[in-house]
Formats: sequence, C-alpha cells, structure tokens
Amino acid sequence: MDQKHGFGQQLIGALASLKLTLFVFLALAVGSILGTLLPQGLSEPELQRHFGPGIAGWIAAFGLHDLYHTGWFRLLLLLLCVNLAVCSLDRLPKTIKLMSRREETLSAKKLEKFSTRYSLSSQHGPEEARSRIAKVLETAGFPSQFVPGDQGHGLIAEKGRWAPYMVYVVHLSVLVVLFGALLGSILGFKGFMNITEGEVSDSVAATTGHGQIMLPFSVRCDDFSVAFYDQGTPKEFRSDLVILENGKEVRKQTIRVNDPLTYQGITFYQSSYGTTLKEAEVEFQDKANGKSERIVLPFRQIRLIPGTQDRVQVVEYEQDFNRFGPAIGILLQKDGQKESSGSWILVDKPDFHGNRIMNYGIRVIRAEASQFTGLQVKRDPGVWWVYGGFTAMLLGIGLAYYTSHRRLWILALPEGKGSKVILAGRASKNSLAFEQEFNGLCERLKAEL
Amino acid sequence: MVTSSLLLSITTFTFLACSVLYMAGGVFRQKQLFFVGSMVASGSLILQTAGILLRWKESYDLGYGHAPLSNLYESLVFAAWAIMLIYLVLEYRTKQRSLGIFPCLITFLAMAYASFSTNVDAKIQPLLPALKSNWLIAHVVTCFIGYAAFAVAAGLSLLYLAKGKAMGSSNTGPASGFVPEPRQLDELNHQMVLFGFLWLSVGIITGSVWANSAWGTYWSWDPKETWSLITWLVYAAVLHARTMQGWRGNRVAWMSLLGFACVIFTYFGVNFLLTGLHSYATK
Ligand code: HEM
Repeated sequence: MDQKHGFGQQLIGALASLKLTLFVFLALAVGSILGTLLPQGLSEPELQRHFGPGIAGWIAAFGLHDLYHTGWFRLLLLLLCVNLAVCSLDRLPKTIKLMSRREETLSAKKLEKFSTRYSLSSQHGPEEARSRIAKVLETAGFPSQFVPGDQGHGLIAEKGRWAPYMVYVVHLSVLVVLFGALLGSILGFKGFMNITEGEVSDSVAATTGHGQIMLPFSVRCDDFSVAFYDQGTPKEFRSDLVILENGKEVRKQTIRVNDPLTYQGITFYQSSYGTTLKEAEVEFQDKANGKSERIVLPFRQIRLIPGTQDRVQVVEYEQDFNRFGPAIGILLQKDGQKESSGSWILVDKPDFHGNRIMNYGIRVIRAEASQFTGLQVKRDPGVWWVYGGFTAMLLGIGLAYYTSHRRLWILALPEGKGSKVILAGRASKNSLAFEQEFNGLCERLKAEL
Repeated sequence: MVTSSLLLSITTFTFLACSVLYMAGGVFRQKQLFFVGSMVASGSLILQTAGILLRWKESYDLGYGHAPLSNLYESLVFAAWAIMLIYLVLEYRTKQRSLGIFPCLITFLAMAYASFSTNVDAKIQPLLPALKSNWLIAHVVTCFIGYAAFAVAAGLSLLYLAKGKAMGSSNTGPASGFVPEPRQLDELNHQMVLFGFLWLSVGIITGSVWANSAWGTYWSWDPKETWSLITWLVYAAVLHARTMQGWRGNRVAWMSLLGFACVIFTYFGVNFLLTGLHSYATK
C-alpha cells in the first residue's frame, strides 16, 4: 500500500514538474523544426522518388512526411496538457493559501527585515498619523486595513490581489485553445468546391481523404470576376453566391478574399478560380461511311452519336494545351465495348491529324468556356473555443506582465509628541518598478504628515 | 524634393553614428558619449517615423493605398523602428545608457540590409488580394514589436554574459561598474522576454484570426507559422526556466539568445530557405 502511494506521489510530482515542461517545449520545438525541413504531405511513392527507398522507409516509419498529425506529436501535446493541468492543480491551493495569509500583528522588528523600507517622523500622534496614511493610500489605489502593532498602530495595504492568478488564466487558456482545436477536428470538416458561373452545387470534396461531403443546402454562383492592377497582378476576386434551400433563394451575398459567407455554420471562402468548358458543339465524321453528325455536348454529360449507340462525353478542358490553344478531352465508348478511348481535340486547329478517336474524325465547331469560382468550405464548431482561449491568453499574459501583487506594511510608533512611521513593501515581481512606486508613495506621505 | 527613401537613407547613417557613439562610450567609459548617442538615436527615430509616414502617403499617391508593412524592405524598416523605440523607452525608464550598444547596432544592420542588399526591393508595390486586411496590419505590427523586444532582450543577455566573463577573470573587468548589476540585467531580460512573449502571442493570434478569415483555417502548419510557434515555445521555455531553481543567469541568457536566433530564422531563413504561404514576402 505504502509503496503504491509513494509511486502515485512520484508520478504526480513528475507530471507537475517544470523539468518536464521544458522538455516538452523543446521536444515540440525540435519536432516542428523537422516538419518544416521535410516537405509535408507527400505520398509514399513520391517520398521514394525524392529520397530513395531506404530513407523514405525511415521517414514513413516516423510519419515525418505528415509530422503534425502523427501519434507521437499528438502525444507530446497531450503530455503538455497533462503537465499543465497537474501543475496548476498542484499549485493553485498553495497560491490561495499564500494570498489569504495575513499578519495578526505588526512589529518594528518584522519590518526591519524588508529590503524596500522607509521611515519618517511626523508631528501627529500615531493614531492620527495612521488615519492620514490610510487616506493617502486610498487615493493611490491601496485599500488598507488596520492591524494592531506591538506598540503603535499598524496598517496593511495591498493592490493587485488577483495578479498571482493570472498565470492560471494563461495556463487554462492553452487547454481551452487545444480543446477547441480538437473539437473542430472531430466535429468539423474542410473541403473544396468549384462552381461554374450560373451553376448550382451541393457537394464538397473533402481536403483529407477522397470523400465527398453533401451540404444540407445548395450554392449557386451567379457571377465571378477578377480585377487586375495595371501591371497585371490580380487586385480582387469576387463571386456572387446564392444559397438555395429546396430550390428557394434564402441568401444572396458577394464574397471576396478576406470576406467570406457563413450559412448554418458552414463558411465559404473565395480561394481560387479558373476557366472551364460550358458546352461544345462538335462534329463527328464517321471515316467508314463519311457521314457527319453535329452534337452539342454540355461539359461532362454523356450523349449518343445520332444513328449509333456510341456514347461520347467531354471530360476535360484546357485553355492552352501545350501552347496549341484551347483543347477539349473527349471520351468515346463504342457500342457494346467496355473500354472507352479518348483524345485531346484541338479547338483552333481543325485539320490537326490527332483530332480523331477510332473511326471518327472530330472537329470542334464552337467551344463555350465559362469561369468557375473555387471555394474553400469549412465547418468548425471549435473555433469559438479557440478564439475564447486566445482572448483569455492575451488578457492573462498582458496582466501578468503589467500587474503584480504589491503589499505594504506600515507601523506608526509613538515618538515624543509625534510619531515615527515605518513603511515596508514587497511586490510579487518586477521589484525595480515597485521600488519607484514605493518611493513616490513615501514622498506623498512625507508631505501629508 | 524630400522623399521617404531619402529620409530612410539618412537614418541608416545616423543609426550607424549612434552605434559608433554607444560603442565608443562603452570602450572609453565616457558617459557623455552615451548621452550624445542617445540624443542622436532619438533624433533618428523621429526622422524615421517621418520617413515611414511619408512612405505611407506616397503609396496613396501611387493609387495603391496601403500601410508600409507589406514587403521585406518595409518590414525591415519597421523592425528597426520598433527596436529603437523599445530600447529608448527602456533607456528612459532605467537610466542605463550602456544597454544601447546592441540595439543600435542591430537597428543599423537592419537598415543597411534594407537599403543596400540586392535581395531587397524598395519599390512600393500593390497588395495581393489576400493581404488586404486590417488584420495584416495588426499581425505585422504586433509580431514586430515582439521581435524588437526579443532583440533588446538578446542585447541584455549578451551584456550579462560579457559581464559575467569579465567578473570571472577579475573584479575590475572592463564592464564592471559601468553597466547594471547582473541581478538587474537578469530582471530586465526577464521583463523584456515577457513583454516580447506577450506581443509575439498577439502577433501569432492575429495572424491566425486573419488566416481564418481569409482561408478558413486558423492554423495550417505553414513553415513561417510553424517557426513562429517554435520561437514562441523557446521563449516559453525561457520564462519557465527562470522559475526553476538555479536556472537564472547564464542559462537563461543563453536560452534568450537561442530564442533570438529562432526569430532571425523565422524572419529570413524561412523566406529564403523554405517555401510556404508567406513566400510572397521574399521580394
Ligand atoms: C504552452 C504552455 C504554457 C504557456 C503559454 C505558459 C505561460 C506562462 C506565462 C506567461 C507565465 C508567466 C511568466 C512570468 O510572469 O514571468 C507562466 C508562469 C508559470 N508557468 Fe506556465 N505556461 C505554459 C505551460 C506551463 C506548464 C506545462 C507548466 C507546468 C509545470 C507551467 C508552470 C508555470 C509556473 C510554475 C509558472 C510561474 C508561476 C509564478 O510565477 O507564480 N507552465 N507560464
């Protein structure tokens, strides 16, 4: 039993220790450095190509190509949280106890021990001196309390009683931020969607993995535009978006970079743009019998070539294909065959010899391009925790820097007709600044007594 | 005609003059030289402030209209400005002029690099769409206040270490009596680190709020972001090391220098050696 108790104590001691904190801080720093030196997010075949199979094996074994999501990196973060929680729970009662301790009496001997100390004489008697001092302290923001002195009259004053608690606010805020991040990664999602002008979509390609996320509503892009500076760099992207629920318009908003749209907790960010094909009118000439057919092919929709069961579809579009101008990628599936075959067809070069698939010669009569907007889509229910943690962290660090707990002990002793006043003070930190404040107070007291 | 680049070029040279004055003051132990150095430094700061404001106005005249904080040149100028400002406030509050050598030197180096390096383009350029945000201004300003405080803290640490060495060999080393006591240096170093930590935290947080409003992720492990976190962790370690028994003094001074090395790498190394979201800042 005894031994178990000892082990428990030791474990808590280790988990509360500042040595562990330093270790975790530096381990996280070193881990993060590795992550910035190695390219992140490569697949294993890419790793092999970059580094050769030997080193790639090691990198993959430690997850260094996706370091910030590996188990060991998360374990370090968890260790930080445990360290923080145990340390704070260990120290908080001690701080509370320290803060609530009060001297019952004051004696001249006690005050002699302070390094920040001052004494002066007053023509007023001890009791009068004490109440005058209390008034001065009051205006300086030091509420004071009378305590008996061993011969005279004593006062204790303090300021910034909450200052020692600020580190606990900072420490708690770290836990809150990490909790918010965890919440977001479990309950939220991140993804991407491209919407062509005039079209509607409700499916988002997830950033992690290859899944599709279906939105509970759909989004239409009415218009997309880019503005440029004179020398050609982009100045502004904007998309006019409409949210549709069951076909009804419920929200209309223009988004720009830095100015997203949020609907039902899902946010749409202007992220990229590009050009895609709307539809193409294409002529297929069967080389076997010389017959020509013209069909309009909307992008990525399957059509039959009239008079046959051959299925065709435009699957790709390039604005400038190997510097031959625009090209469309057509896929053809002959009647009864499983495999389809495809080819790039150059739009502006109808006589190009490669403009054919199997028995068809292909000519593009008209290709109508349109722009699409690229939207980053996100749902993050943890973000308010993160922001709350951020706020608390800044308040906590700011107050930890700018304030301290300051205490004054004052004793007025009878001396002849008047009194002798001894002042002593102590601050929880930043003793240099406190000395200045203390000296200022002494000057004011000298004038009042 | 007075242009911002003229004013900023002049300050490059006046900062050189300050560095020389402070160094000479330290070497010859002449308080008057410190005093002159301090006056020149204050004058340079005023001139530089005017230069930065003028550059801001010029960007509006060109039709771009943005705060002068958008590229490497402008950020170097601002870093120099912030270091000088923080140092002069520290000097005013502690009345210790010998602390000025390192801040003046690094201010001069930053300005010289900004003015003369071929890596740095001093032209006023238009802003990319992602950078048009008030968060950008908040982010850059706060980060650089933090970095500047760390630069001053690094100077204090160097002084502490130099003084320790001098005291180790003999009690009347070159620096003794002329610079603050080790205990005071240690305390000032801690205050500066905590101040820098506060502003670096504000900087990281505003950056992450900005990223969230522009891209929808408040943290994406982009190399620059990650390096600022590394810096933050190292300084967190500095703050906590001090609370442990026996870790004051030399070890904390060395850690503070390590932290400043991380600042420098975050600032330059990431731009030139690593790639990521922030790579726009290379020119
Ligand atoms: C990312 C995590 C952390 C942050 C941002 C942080 C931040 C801070 C800050 C700003 C201070 C005040 C420093 C000063 O006033 O000089 C502080 C003090 C302190 N921290 Fe942390 N801390 C973290 C983690 C930890 C952990 C894991 C421990 C556990 C042992 C710890 C223990 C302490 C202690 C003992 C103090 C001194 C309290 C005092 O002076 O009374 N901290 N921390």
